[in-house]
Amino acid sequence: MAETSETKPSASAPGGDAGGEEDKRDERMLECNICLDTARDAVVSMCGHLFCWPCLHQWLETRPSRQVCPVCKAAISRDKVIPLYGRGNTKQEDPRNKVPPRPAGQRTEPENNSGFPGFSFGEGFHMSFGIGAFPFGVFTSTFNFGDPRPSAAPRGTAQYEEEQFLSKIFLWVAILFVLWLIFA
Amino acid sequence: MANIAAKRIKREIIEVVKGEEGVLKLELVNNAWTDLLGEIAGPPDTPYEGGLFKLEIKIPETYPFNPPKVRFITKVWHPNVSSVTGAICLDILKDQWAAALTLRTVLLSIQALLASAEPNDPQDAVVARQYIENEPLFELTARHWTNVYANGPTVVWEFNQKVQTLLEMGVDEHNARVALSTYNWDVEGATEQIFS
Ligand SMILES: [Zn+2]
Ligand SMILES: [Zn+2]
Repeated sequence: MAETSETKPSASAPGGDAGGEEDKRDERMLECNICLDTARDAVVSMCGHLFCWPCLHQWLETRPSRQVCPVCKAAISRDKVIPLYGRGNTKQEDPRNKVPPRPAGQRTEPENNSGFPGFSFGEGFHMSFGIGAFPFGVFTSTFNFGDPRPSAAPRGTAQYEEEQFLSKIFLWVAILFVLWLIFA
Repeated sequence: MANIAAKRIKREIIEVVKGEEGVLKLELVNNAWTDLLGEIAGPPDTPYEGGLFKLEIKIPETYPFNPPKVRFITKVWHPNVSSVTGAICLDILKDQWAAALTLRTVLLSIQALLASAEPNDPQDAVVARQYIENEPLFELTARHWTNVYANGPTVVWEFNQKVQTLLEMGVDEHNARVALSTYNWDVEGATEQIFS
């Protein structure tokens, strides 16, 4: 009996390896489902599957007509993957500098408990303040007619006419809005 | 060969070697990671039971974004495998391929295909017709092929004798077996087809 228990310490070296095995298993959680290596520029699909962005991008390019998750075959698309940023990873390099660019993360502002500020009719003043910026924003852009903005279409083209028309509509909407604010 | 393909194949071989011992085998044919040899055991309770089936696996440059090309080297009598070329009719080797599938899952799928034929989507029309019209004869034929080509345990003496009859007429052994299998082991029909 003593002998068998004595042999155990010598077998504890592989025991240490067993710990390493466990680490490896943890690492596998972060392996890309396509190259089976640790995911770099990691993205996760809506179905929860992890990939390197370059790997997933190439998969989507290979089958443009059939965009499915390589693991579960759920519908997948470039716009519906979420990039994963590890600590200290985001500032060092801009993922957009890489080819192919990784889709950006989307930030949704936390929901405000007081509901929609500006549409609560009980607080009249609050309301006009909350959305007051809208008509003036429109004013400033509609009174910019003469400005040679780089994005403005050249005079005489159909697009120019359309922009003029839209500007006028916005102007009228803005005026009506201001009148409503005054008389309401 | 693309780096990602070679890296993956390396991992996949380790994965197969670690798991399913005796059920699956996967080894390199050359050092370029492009040609592999697979082996699957015939599933139990099928005519392929006890047989070992070798598969040729070719890895395309664009792996794993495109599927590997796999065909049977060992001759098989199965509706979804060509009895002539060994070509396999399996959706994941075609349009249902997904980059997360591995050679291990491919081999397991082929093994599963042996256990559940799809005669309505055949690769070999002759075999599929026999499967539909005379399933017991199909099973016996498949068992016979497993015995002759895959070292299966069941010897079908009657079929061996009929092959022997054609051999004595100077017909090549495999051609004789194909002709007899095709003509539901009717020696006259088979001979007529061979000598016509
Ligand atoms: Zn990857
Ligand atoms: Zn998925």
